[in-house]
Amino acid sequence: MIRQTNFQVAFAHLSSRVKQSLVAMLSVTFGISMYIFMNGFMTGVNDVQNELAFSALAHVRIYRDLPKDRSNLLASKYDEEATLINIRNPKTIQYTTGIRNANEVIDAIDHLPEITDIATQVNLNVFFRNGSAKINGLTAGVNANDEEALFGISESVIEGSWFDLNHRSDGIIMGVGLAKKLSLNLNDNVQVSTADGVTRNFEIIGILETTMAGVDDMKAFIQINAARQLISKNRSYATDIQVNVADFEAASAVAAKMRSLTDLKVESWIESNGQLDAGNELRNIIALAVSFTILLVAGFGIYNIMNMTVNEKIKEIAILKAMGFEGSDIVQIFLVQSIIIGIIGGIIGMLFGAAVSVVINQVPFQVASLETLPMSYRAKDYVAAFGFGLITTFVAGYLPAKKASKVDPVTIIRG
Amino acid sequence: MENQIALKVSNIDKFFYEPSKFQVLKDINFDVKKGEFLSLVGKSGSGKSTLLYVLSTMDTDYSGSLEINGKTLTGSTQNELAKFRNANIGFVFQFHYLLPDFSTLDNVMLPALKLRKKSKEEIREMAYENLKLLGIEDQAKKSANKLSGGQQQRVAIARALINEPAIIMGDEPTGNLDSKNTQTVFDIFQQLSEERGQTIIAVTHDDEFAKNTDRILELSDGSML
Ligand SMILES: Nc1ncnc2c1ncn2[C@@H]1O[C@H](COP(=O)(O)OP(=O)(O)O)[C@@H](O)[C@H]1O
Ligand SMILES: [Mg+2]
Repeated sequence: MIRQTNFQVAFAHLSSRVKQSLVAMLSVTFGISMYIFMNGFMTGVNDVQNELAFSALAHVRIYRDLPKDRSNLLASKYDEEATLINIRNPKTIQYTTGIRNANEVIDAIDHLPEITDIATQVNLNVFFRNGSAKINGLTAGVNANDEEALFGISESVIEGSWFDLNHRSDGIIMGVGLAKKLSLNLNDNVQVSTADGVTRNFEIIGILETTMAGVDDMKAFIQINAARQLISKNRSYATDIQVNVADFEAASAVAAKMRSLTDLKVESWIESNGQLDAGNELRNIIALAVSFTILLVAGFGIYNIMNMTVNEKIKEIAILKAMGFEGSDIVQIFLVQSIIIGIIGGIIGMLFGAAVSVVINQVPFQVASLETLPMSYRAKDYVAAFGFGLITTFVAGYLPAKKASKVDPVTIIRG
Repeated sequence: MENQIALKVSNIDKFFYEPSKFQVLKDINFDVKKGEFLSLVGKSGSGKSTLLYVLSTMDTDYSGSLEINGKTLTGSTQNELAKFRNANIGFVFQFHYLLPDFSTLDNVMLPALKLRKKSKEEIREMAYENLKLLGIEDQAKKSANKLSGGQQQRVAIARALINEPAIIMGDEPTGNLDSKNTQTVFDIFQQLSEERGQTIIAVTHDDEFAKNTDRILELSDGSML
């Protein structure tokens, strides 16, 4: 318990040294506001990066992995050691590609509470042809509504309408770069041919611009059943099942659960796009390193000023001890001062940090899909900044306070 | 009751090592009875202040033993001594040290607030009484560093009395006072020792003051005469 008398002495000290107390307070304010700004900015960048990435990437992807070793495709079927297997010509053996019964797989995983959205896709390598122009690219057969739920893709459609795909089985929505290369505009026709030589005409009902070259210059979307028809597959066939979960950071854990429910390959975004996760992590580390450095500097500020206070008040400390104040009282008196400085500086720092964040958030920055510099405003950053700020003031204030408690009254009073 | 020992020192030696080794107190032995009003005299530099710091328990760097109210204090921890001082010893320093950030009244109240034996209201009441006793109640609200030297010294005396300590020690407590105020302080001390049985040990250069106390102890070059 902090004794009331010690509070009284602490307040008297603070109010007798308003200027120094303000300087100490400012160093806390600075440290905490920079902590908030740095973390808000880095989280903002991460959010933008993730939003961009997750506009084309699902949290979890389910697909059939090609067998790694195609020389013995029967090995898993006959696993008793006594069975000898000899395949004369393994290249001629047909093996399954794609997911033959996607509905079955979806039924198996559907009950997991973490799953928010599921979309089936039929992804094909195709040639796009317009007259003599012929370009290799990708066609995704999708369900327009599911695709929207996972990727919010309709926002990227700059001409036509994404949802027209729902009722246009001959419609195709094409990346803006791809359309340009083929000299195609809205409502023009384009020929799509598969590797097996099947060719069909589609009408362009939408143009898409995502700012991602991999989509804009290469990809087109058609109805999933149209895609199935192109490769003569049944109505439950899919190449990919894309799944979004409530918390994308927990994607790997959900993927692990799914693995026990299906034999197919289940891959979370962290496994398939490690660089994205690494980028996020690195930015977080930078933000932490910078903000802790700033807090450390703020700590030194308080340490310095509290040390000065102790030196300046050394006579008073001696008198207090002569009157019977114990070492722990003296520690409290000075610790209370730095904690008050920390609390006031911290509250102002949170307000100032929010203000700086808002201002930086207005700075124009027109790159990719951005208009201004990104910023995130998370309560937990404010709580952490305030908490770390208080810990810093506590530690920085404790050392001078401890020193004060060791003052020998006789030496000081004798002069 | 009459002959109870308030303070007993036995074989106290003390050395200073800076700038060179020198014995400042040499085999000091004496008893002080409860309620006794004692004056400590001697030439400047004879060791009076040094002895008083030892008696006040603030200085623990000595050999020999110190006993107050039957309790041996030699060897106690700093915290125990601090608590003991707070409750049992009132001290008036040679240079009237007050806390400059506090008002006169708060200075007087502080040791009692620390002791927490009485309510804040009672303490305030008592502090006023003590200031009135010393004729400076009109300065109660003033900041302590705005007072004259003589006023500060009287505030320091009022502060030393606040916890009604068993022993009051003063290092030239009237050094800054005119003869009228010196007489007031002397009368207060005498009254405290006679009526309340409080023990007073006062270092003084004032022969008149010393002559009227119950007993005079004289130090010369660190030895008791
Ligand atoms: N901290 C110290 N270090 C060394 N010598 C000291 C110290 N304090 C006092 N002295 C010396 O000790 C002697 C006694 O001092 P003091 O007790 O203040 O004398 P008095 O109060 O009787 O005038 C003096 O010679 C003084 O110079
Ligand atoms: Mg002296």
